[in-house]
Formats: sequence, C-alpha cells, structure tokens
Amino acid sequence: MDAHSGDHQADHGPCVRVMDSRKILFDGEGFLNDFDDWSETVFETLAKERGLTQITDQHLRVVRFMREYYAYHGRAPMNRQLKEGTGLSVMALEKVFPDGLKHGARRLSGLPNPKTCN
Amino acid sequence: MIYEEFLLDDKALIYLDNAATSYPKPAGCMLRALARYIELGVSPSRGGYDLAREAETAVSDVRHALRCFFGADENYPVCFGSNATDALNTLIQGLTEPGDHVVSTCLEHNSVLRPLHHLRAQGRIEFDLAEFDASGFVNPDDIAAMIRPHTRMVVINHASNVLGTVQPVSAIGEICRNKGIPLILDVSQSAGAIPIEMKKWNVSGLAFTGHKSLLSPSGIGGLIIHPDLPIRSIRFGGTGIDSGNLFHTQTFPHRLEAGTLNLLGILALGESLLYLQERETQGYRPREMWLTERLRDGFSEIYGIDQYAVQSLENHLPLLTCNVRGYAAADVGAILDGDFNIAVRAGLHCAPLVHERLGTAPNGAIRFSVGFLNSIDSIDSAISAMSIIARNA
Repeated sequence: MDAHSGDHQADHGPCVRVMDSRKILFDGEGFLNDFDDWSETVFETLAKERGLTQITDQHLRVVRFMREYYAYHGRAPMNRQLKEGTGLSVMALEKVFPDGLKHGARRLSGLPNPKTCN
Repeated sequence: MIYEEFLLDDKALIYLDNAATSYPKPAGCMLRALARYIELGVSPSRGGYDLAREAETAVSDVRHALRCFFGADENYPVCFGSNATDALNTLIQGLTEPGDHVVSTCLEHNSVLRPLHHLRAQGRIEFDLAEFDASGFVNPDDIAAMIRPHTRMVVINHASNVLGTVQPVSAIGEICRNKGIPLILDVSQSAGAIPIEMKKWNVSGLAFTGHKSLLSPSGIGGLIIHPDLPIRSIRFGGTGIDSGNLFHTQTFPHRLEAGTLNLLGILALGESLLYLQERETQGYRPREMWLTERLRDGFSEIYGIDQYAVQSLENHLPLLTCNVRGYAAADVGAILDGDFNIAVRAGLHCAPLVHERLGTAPNGAIRFSVGFLNSIDSIDSAISAMSIIARNA
C-alpha cells in the first residue's frame, strides 16, 4: 500500500466486468456503480484482486456493517459510527483492508464512490 | 476569554481546517448581526420608506469598510455576491471577449481554473499558466513572459490554499501596470489573514469570500474593482433602481449585482471586519504563524511524514500540507477525525494542478490550517496523533 503510487486511485474510466455470472458496471476508480450488484462472491473476487487472500470474520463483519448501515440510512457511516459499529478504531480498520478505508473497505463493501475531498 | 467570545468549549474538537472555513465564528459578531437583521431586515434600497433606506445605509457602510480593509480608494466599486468563486466568475466572464488571452498560474483553485477551461472549451479564450517553484512561488518574470498583445487579464491566487505560499503580488502588479493589463487577485485565503493593499499593488479586480479568515458566515463574498475596469454584467435582473429600463442597470455597484442582496451576510461581514481590526492590535497573526512553525517542526521530527513547501515560512499563511507514507490522505483524515477528534482537510483541495506538480495526485494530501482558537495543546495533540499514525504505517 503506497499512498503515492496511487495506481488503484487513478481514474481509468468506467468498465463492465463479468462477476458472479453477471455483468457489473464499475466506475473509473473501481467502485460499483450499483450498490445492489454486490454479493459475497463479488466481494471475494475483488478482495483477491487487491491482495486480500484470507478473508476473516473481521473483514466480513466490517463489510456487512457498512452495507447494512448504507442500506438503512442511505449514506456511508461517519467515522464515529464506523467505530461503534465495528468495535475497532479507525486506524485499526484502515489496517484490516489492503487499500485502507476509502479504497479498501468502502470499495469492497460496494458503497458508491464518495468522490469528495475528505 | 477567547473561548467565551466564540462560545466554544476548549475541550471540543480540535479544528485545524480553518483554510476551508473558519470555525467557529465570533459569536458576538454573529449575534449582533442577527439582532441588526431582525431590526433592519427589509430589502435594502428597494422602497422609499425610511427602514429600506436605513438598510441601504448599513450596506453602504460595509462597502466602505471593505474598501478601507483592502486598501482601495473610495471610488472603487464594491459589489456583493455569494463567495469568491461567484466573484471570480463575474470578473473572468465579464472581462473577456472572444479571442482574448488570459495569464494565470498552476497554483489556482478551481474557482479560476474551471471558468478558464470552460471558456476555452467554448472557443472564447485561450490561456497560459505559469508554473510555481519548489518552494511554492510563482516567478513574476514568468508571468511577464506569457503576456501577449491580446492578453486581457492576469488572474492569480494571492495565497495558495494548498501550500499557503503568498505570491509576490506587488511585483506582478507592477508588470501588469506597465503593460496596461488588469490584474485580478483571488484573496480567498489571504483576506483577513494578512494585509492586502489593492491600490498600492495595482490590483484592478479583487475577489473575496467572507467565510474564511474574514470570520463571516458562508454565502457572502464579492469583488472590488478599479473604477475604470471595463467589465460587463454577466447576470441581469432586479437592481431596485431604473425599473423602467428593460436592460440591466450599468451604474456601479448595480452593474455586477442582480437580485436582492444577502443582507444578513453583509451585516455579519461588517461586524467581523470590526472584530478583525480589534484583534489585529492583539497580535493574532504572529501567534498563528508561531503555532504553524511548531506544527512544522513537530512533523519534521516524525519519520514517514512528507511536508510540502515549508522549508521557510516567510510569506506563508498559517497552514501546511503533508502526507504520511503508506496511507491514502483520505484515510489519514478519517483516522484523525475518528480516533483523535482532529478535523483537517484531505484530498485535492479543489486545486488539482498543485497536486499534479507535487506528485500527490490523485490522492492529494492532508492540510492542517491554524486559526484563532488553536492552542499550543491542540498543536501538540496533532503532532502526537500524526506520530502514532506514522508509526502504524
């Protein structure tokens, strides 16, 4: 993980990929275009591509929390809600996923690209 | 004492995002403005009744205060808008004609870059952008070398919102004066943070926003221009005068104002200007720079932090930008907020060309910007937090 190399953060333009026997549209930064296109199989495929070969209960807990929160509230959890919901510090969460929070946890959870300066 | 003025608990969030917007605003100023608005809140200059005229007088008083604050003569029109982006659009679109050329810099915010790119895409103008050096400064000679016979204006950022570097405006103004080209200055970051001398520096048009170091609410800003600047209206509508004319009023300030003004914002801006003048005598600027130095020196001691353009803090605003190796900037911002209760700005800061040049695009960097209320403890907490984050990379 190198914040300066940024290959996974560069915008390569939208693309359609076949995953879990479906055509899925991704944006230029690899975020799902449609929240409902996510499945655990899609998650596993994307995770493997990002170097996350061993998916643990912790990964699944974080991803499920983020998805449930988004589905219920229509937005991603704030930092403090992320901590409360996962029982982890933000710094620990950043370590759980190879690409950190925004480009790791959020992207692998199938949440939309925030496209904001944070 | 100072915390009481701002109605803030000093144990609350450590706010180091003052370059985005100052927070909190001086409570006394906001409450006085609100009280005046409750009393005066009719449409200024619309109507011949005394209260409307009184409201207009209050607006005129703030126009006058702004001229004094920015070193402009009394005959310089002051036109209100919603923010600096609004004012810059008015200046850039109101001054350029098809076929014109514009000189600007790579330090600009999107408030300048986007209008320029849109006008170029429409085939209306072309432009050149001067580079900045490793210390974050534009060389006035580079600006001079880019000026062509059909250059309509030079538009520059007084102080970079990413690097904090204050550009040599006086020298650039001299070049523009000698060549007879208007200099348009974006003072979004510098207004209220450092002194500005519009007339002395030969600035023909100045765009400001209230919500940063002018300590006013968001939604109020504007521009001040030299009385001879040949600028057209780019928006048209009600001005409260000359209503029988179906074309927009061409006298100032109406030429560049359309529709009812943000009276509450203007009153708050007036109160904040008075407050800033009072605080000026209490030496808040050196204190903010001293805290910034402490932050820079603290970060310098931490392995894994890269800072940009802070070798010297001469001609610099109280902000600094950095990255922690091994982290995306957005994630550092989230950790600072979620785990340390520190608010900073991560990302590209709406100035993508600066980050391209620094090599920090597309992730950007983390910006810490010091304000009135930051204490030594808050700065030390930020250093300590960054140290922990860097150690965990």
